[in-house]
Amino acid sequence: MPDVIKLERLTKAYGRRRGLRDLDLSVAEGEVFGYLGPNGAGKSTTIRVLLDLIRPTSGRALVFGHDPRRDAVALHRRIGYLAGEFVVDPRQRVGACLTFLAELRGGVPKARIGELAGRLDLDLTARIKTLSKGNRQKIGLVQAFMHRPELLILDEPTSGLDPLVQQTFLDLVREARADGQTVFMSSHIMSEVEAVADRVGIIRDGRLVALDTVARLRDRSVHEFQVTFAEPVDETALAALPEVTGLTIDGPTARFRLAGSPDRLIRVLAQQRVASLRATEPDLEQLFLTYYQADSASKETTHA
Amino acid sequence: MPDLLTKTLWDGRRALAAFTAGTALLAAMYAGFYPQVAEGAMGQTVEGFSPALRQALRMEDLASAAGYLGSSVFGIIVPLVAVIFGIATGTRAIAGDEEAGYLDLLLAHPVSRTRLLLHRFAALTTGAILIAAVVLLAMLAVRPGARLDSITVGHFTAQCLALALLIIVFGTIAITIGAATGSRPTALATTAGIAVLTYAASTLAGQIGADILRYASPFHYYIGGEPLRNGFQWADLSILTATTAILLTVAVAAFNRRDLTS
Repeated sequence: MPDVIKLERLTKAYGRRRGLRDLDLSVAEGEVFGYLGPNGAGKSTTIRVLLDLIRPTSGRALVFGHDPRRDAVALHRRIGYLAGEFVVDPRQRVGACLTFLAELRGGVPKARIGELAGRLDLDLTARIKTLSKGNRQKIGLVQAFMHRPELLILDEPTSGLDPLVQQTFLDLVREARADGQTVFMSSHIMSEVEAVADRVGIIRDGRLVALDTVARLRDRSVHEFQVTFAEPVDETALAALPEVTGLTIDGPTARFRLAGSPDRLIRVLAQQRVASLRATEPDLEQLFLTYYQADSASKETTHA
Repeated sequence: MPDLLTKTLWDGRRALAAFTAGTALLAAMYAGFYPQVAEGAMGQTVEGFSPALRQALRMEDLASAAGYLGSSVFGIIVPLVAVIFGIATGTRAIAGDEEAGYLDLLLAHPVSRTRLLLHRFAALTTGAILIAAVVLLAMLAVRPGARLDSITVGHFTAQCLALALLIIVFGTIAITIGAATGSRPTALATTAGIAVLTYAASTLAGQIGADILRYASPFHYYIGGEPLRNGFQWADLSILTATTAILLTVAVAAFNRRDLTS
């Protein structure tokens, strides 16, 4: 399958830290890609390069195999974009604003705008300045989805939306995927990406630190264990396991986190009589945070 | 093709209407004072001024209609208000909208930067022509009553055409600085500074013995040839047009090169 988005050693230097460093990434046709990272990691910078709002310092980006700069106009016809901070002139009415943007694309059926606005509970007759941040964000969603673009590039699409509307948004993304559209969405919240994304990339300080399917990230993620023994706990055996971290003993109960395969843990546990065992669902949020805090985490381990 | 031009004009309609009405009303009002001036009221006041100051303010010949209008109405008031419109419109065209965050959305649509800039320039031009045309109509309306018949319709038209080009030149300077920097304050302050300096150059250059400076001023090409007396100054109008064309070329090149500010 051809790559809809391809980044090759993409670098964007700014005066200070914010920027991108040698970013390699590709997103296949029909894929929903979650682009995760804390604020300031370089998510918006990547997206703005894809839309030719800014130009790379070195390396390159390709969208549908084309240069975002040279073929900007042709590419933009095929893209729906929601900016991280969606702003439009607040003096106009919602409907007029959307009609104008639709006309820039050669028109969108009125029914399509009406349908999206209805699903998101957006009043087309309201003046934009009277709307809350969440409602303005809905305008951004409608304009990004309305022309059924081949590629949706959404920068923090759910910011400001209430949970109910977030669900509607996720439905829209699922429908887009069902229609064969490609979705590239950034977020700093794992759970919303986890719900729809096929693959996830995690970016930190302008570098890609993880790139995998949601399923495999989940496999790699940390399990929280709580084991209660029917006899004194063999603390040394547990502590000796490299996969186990954060071990605490509370009477007959051991609590710890397990990263990676549970095989050796089970062998250790099998040496003793176990009264109860509880392992929580792998928490991607937790994994995500470990990627976020890699620096401070590595310092902690060296101290320990 | 739905127009960025139409949309830009529509969004700026209130400012444009206010500037057009304001400029035309001021022009008509001051032109309406001409009969009193012709009877010597103003002449007496100005007699106290030194010859140099009178020359600077183009007040050597206040008694004639062309002399009076050329010094007061078209010498100070109308170009002042009109150039403010040009600078405000030119600043908003790129830098203002960019700082407000509006350009991200527009340029993520199938709209090239060149097209956006040219449509914004076209909106500036339309506004400038509208202002000049309404000022012209106002002049023609007060012409018989204010005893301005010594100035022909053609000569009024010549002066108003120069006015339109003056607005366009300053608007385009603001567009160009905005297109190159993306900074609203820079575009606004630099263009306003250029306007003040070049106005001073066109009026005071003779006084300080630096006549050559006058030729660097758009105001010189706007009124130096006294269109109200001499009609269309095609060379001057061409220089204003050429200046605009060069600035516009620079603006398009600069805007296409750089990153948008976020």
